[in-house]
Amino acid sequence: MKNEVREFRRKRNLSQADLAEDLGVSRQTIIAIESGRYSPSLPLAFRIAKFFEVPVETMFDPTEEAVT
Amino acid sequence: MNSMKHPRLLAPAAVVLIGTVMAVAVGIGHTWTDALVSEIVILFIAVGYFFITGSKGDIGAIYRRRTDERQRNVSMKASRLAMIVMFALCFVIALIEVASNSNYWQEDAIGSVGGVSFFVGLVIYGVRDEDTAGTSRGIMSSDTVDDASEVDEVRPPM
Repeated sequence: MKNEVREFRRKRNLSQADLAEDLGVSRQTIIAIESGRYSPSLPLAFRIAKFFEVPVETMFDPTEEAVT
Repeated sequence: MNSMKHPRLLAPAAVVLIGTVMAVAVGIGHTWTDALVSEIVILFIAVGYFFITGSKGDIGAIYRRRTDERQRNVSMKASRLAMIVMFALCFVIALIEVASNSNYWQEDAIGSVGGVSFFVGLVIYGVRDEDTAGTSRGIMSSDTVDDASEVDEVRPPM
């Protein structure tokens, strides 16, 4: 699933480890989400969107496959 | 509050304890030299376990049992693979035992108990997987869903 996590993270100058700690997940999970290898659960997707203060539809696009 | 000073030692200590019981059984049934070898192997496993739980990454997190949702998914897939391998091994060993006119009740028991456990797991986790309206859709439910629209009717709109 295509997502904008990496883009929003970089805009805030956050490392993957920083974002992982803020969201309560592992760095490997952030890496997997950004590369499109893992689609987060609904609660986690909403947490990510809330963290970046954007709608979840802005952050995740289930209609497109991620380009890794 | 975590009352344990060294929680990482808990699992390796359990490995040593259980392994020592196994080593004593080996000593009683075989030789005490074999028991010593068994105990040394157990100690290596316990030390390895201790270092694995201290490692960063998915494997360390899973062995530490401090997992996020993706790591729990990985752990479940790994468990399923282990189960498949064990079942296959039981089957192969049972085949060999049958072909050599030996008793294979151990492999039969393992396979049978495993199969029943899987079914019980489906019942338990299926029954517990209730929707917000409290309608159970586990496999023990007598309701059958032939049409997807029927599911929408019984579940509350999100």
